[in-house]
Amino acid sequence: MLACIPSATLHGVDGRPVAVEVHVSNGIPGFTVVGLPDAAVRESRDRVRAALLSSGLSWPNRRITVNLAPSGERKSGAGLDLPITIGVLIAAGELEAGAVAETAFVGEVGLDGSLRPVPGVIPLVAALRSSIVVVPTACAAEAALVGTGAVRAAETLGELVAALRGRAPWPPVPVVLRRPVAAPGADLSEVRGQEVGRRALEVAAAGGHHLLLVGPPGSGKTMLARRLVGLLPPLAPDEGLEVMRVHSAAGVWGSGGGLPDRPPFRAPHHGSTDVALVGGGTAGLRPGEISLAHRGVLFLDELGEFSTGVLDMLRQPLEEGRIRISRARATVELPARFQLVAAMNPCPCGEGVYPGACRCTEVVRTRYARRLSGPLLDRFDLAVSLSRPAVDDLLGGPPAEASAPVASRVAAARWYAADRGYATNAAVDAGSLDAVAPLSPGAARLLEHRLRSGTLSARGLHRVRRVARTIADLDDGAGMVGEEHVAEALQLRSGRSTLLVESDR
Amino acid sequence: MTAGSTGEDRCTAAIASLGTSAGRLGRLLAWRTPEEAWAALRAGHHPADPEGSFRTKATAERLARIGAACEACGVRVLRRGSPGYPPALVGDGSGPAVLFALGDPAPAETRPRVALVGTRSASAYGLGVATQWGRQLAEAGVTVVAGLARGVDAAAHEGALAGGTAPVLGILGTAPDAAASRADRLLRGAVADRGAVLSELPPGAGGAAWRFAARNRITAALAHVVVVVEAHRGSGCLGVARAAEERDITVGVVPGSIRNPASAGANQLLADGYGAVVLGVEDVLTAVDLAIARDAAAVAPTRVPEPQTARKRQPAPSAVAARVRLALDGDPVPLDVLIRRTGLPMGQVALGLEHLAGAGMAVGEQGWWSLPQGSG
Repeated sequence: MLACIPSATLHGVDGRPVAVEVHVSNGIPGFTVVGLPDAAVRESRDRVRAALLSSGLSWPNRRITVNLAPSGERKSGAGLDLPITIGVLIAAGELEAGAVAETAFVGEVGLDGSLRPVPGVIPLVAALRSSIVVVPTACAAEAALVGTGAVRAAETLGELVAALRGRAPWPPVPVVLRRPVAAPGADLSEVRGQEVGRRALEVAAAGGHHLLLVGPPGSGKTMLARRLVGLLPPLAPDEGLEVMRVHSAAGVWGSGGGLPDRPPFRAPHHGSTDVALVGGGTAGLRPGEISLAHRGVLFLDELGEFSTGVLDMLRQPLEEGRIRISRARATVELPARFQLVAAMNPCPCGEGVYPGACRCTEVVRTRYARRLSGPLLDRFDLAVSLSRPAVDDLLGGPPAEASAPVASRVAAARWYAADRGYATNAAVDAGSLDAVAPLSPGAARLLEHRLRSGTLSARGLHRVRRVARTIADLDDGAGMVGEEHVAEALQLRSGRSTLLVESDR
Repeated sequence: MTAGSTGEDRCTAAIASLGTSAGRLGRLLAWRTPEEAWAALRAGHHPADPEGSFRTKATAERLARIGAACEACGVRVLRRGSPGYPPALVGDGSGPAVLFALGDPAPAETRPRVALVGTRSASAYGLGVATQWGRQLAEAGVTVVAGLARGVDAAAHEGALAGGTAPVLGILGTAPDAAASRADRLLRGAVADRGAVLSELPPGAGGAAWRFAARNRITAALAHVVVVVEAHRGSGCLGVARAAEERDITVGVVPGSIRNPASAGANQLLADGYGAVVLGVEDVLTAVDLAIARDAAAVAPTRVPEPQTARKRQPAPSAVAARVRLALDGDPVPLDVLIRRTGLPMGQVALGLEHLAGAGMAVGEQGWWSLPQGSG
């Protein structure tokens, strides 16, 4: 007997439809899976067999062949357990073929017959074209977000088979998806002092500018960076779905289970390998940290400690908002439109921002600064150097402004950018700067002076103008970019000078 | 007397390359002629080396290698007691037995000499003082002595090379041909052209960390006045001040901010009473005059009066700039502090700073701001 069950397998953040064909025939009893299965798929035989027996169903002691079509593509993950089980049941005559007409299955089975969630349910279900999709109950909420078919869910194989046979009603699908209440994240009011750092954070949030924080240990770089997410506008539902799709494919489940409304914040450790950061690795080409930070913030703490090869891989995603991973067998494109925030010490001893305090030799300092390639450093529109807050600020002083009022200024500034037709000011192309960010005479004079004195490069000019546009938007909205906006933008980039070696200046 | 040309010089250089202390090297070289001393070392019967410990190191290969290195960089070999050896070092008990010189140290012998010493990781303040005083001293006809290291040393040399024609002396802790960065090699060449680069080690010899401390005594002994420009606590250049103190050579110290760790060692010298405060190049020149009058051994410096820079107090370019200027002082402060002191938003402070910097009324270094030196 032959059965054919539609299912899907994961490829990057996309699902690929797979037809699971099961053939049961007379012959020496055995179980073969063909069609480029990975180890998890091949092991499904033992799970399926045990699950059937523990659910009170029989295992056909005959020759079973499973083919995963299309046969030329690698299949990965345990999500094909359930379609194989159903296929075996139909091919062995335990279930009517008519009971599963137009029905697709995704899920892992346990030895006790339970149905377990699998990573990537959102892209998997989105790839299916059947009118009914059956998933484990734990994934039902996710599955209901996408797809064209009705979602059915079951806790166990026994429950599922009973429902398919029509002997029991389908178990109820859990109701989705209240948006999770925004967790009160870390608030900006906890950051004392750091006027420049706070301002840089606000400008970064308003303009989508990549931000580099340079400062000695204990100056609050990490503290500031973690508060950026709280200043960004909430995710729109379609953005939330994009985020959830990636997180689902990577097997990173959010706590609430519903659509996220906060931009993700990812902070990979500086020991991360290139695959962990940009993705790839397994047959399924799992998304890396930069894709998990899609529509959110990627925070690289101790930027100077990342290996230079890993850092230079960020250049394509920073430019294009996606990463293309090519392997011998497959190529996938993963979304990676993130805002980069990086923190680093000015030099190995960490004291380099204080005049005269650095104890590093010039050679050590130069070597440290060279770790960051010029092209990567150029991606940062904002680079500020922080110093440790004064004792008075830490212990007393006026309470600092909280995140909420800053976030509302950010939202207003972002509205101006959207009104001009750009997602953020950071995305304005150099050619349109004259139209988008016209300079007042004073501002033009200031920039001209800086260009002539050699303290600003032509490349830097465009970055300064974009940042100045954002500052003007934060200030009062549209109109010309004034002298003080440009002056502030120049200051918000002065952290570069602590990192550049003499010859690069 | 070109270098390495005579057998005497080659043997001297080879003996100096053996890596002995200065005192022992003196005893090795004091016996008969250098050639005989070398032969005796090889044979193992040098009276200053009765146990023959240098027999294995004193090879013909070493003599050929060191000799070739001396030829290659054209070094002069100045033995104690031979003509050309700096007279200032002759009376010094722990002076070097031999010096290897690039360039000619002779013109500096008749000049007043000031050693400018300081830390390698100097602040903008220390570098500024070293450059300015190096130039002004050279303009006044004074020979600047420094250690050819990065930081204060290099700044002092560069200042001295830029001003006037007075000879300049650089004292190396490594061999004259030791590997160095391009900037260091250029500086070494420029100093050798305008004076001399001196080292206790012959070309081709390996260096050792203690050599850097050992050269302190040469730097001190060559100078009439030693000026500590900027020194961290425990900095190596404080050794020069100690060596000068032992030789009764005047030590001047440039005071620094108590908040600047690069000045902590220098300030401590003052607090401990080891040095005199020098507030300007005039103070240094006065100290030189006094030292020379005391020694009556060198020609008085030909003074070039410092140009009178009557700095006109300019009005600040704008009202905002005036407020920012009031918040500035001589100590560099980060932008955060200025925002707090003025109570103005960041854009206004940034604009004020741009205006002040444009008018030369504020100095920004890596995001830290202060009033320019000499104003306020």
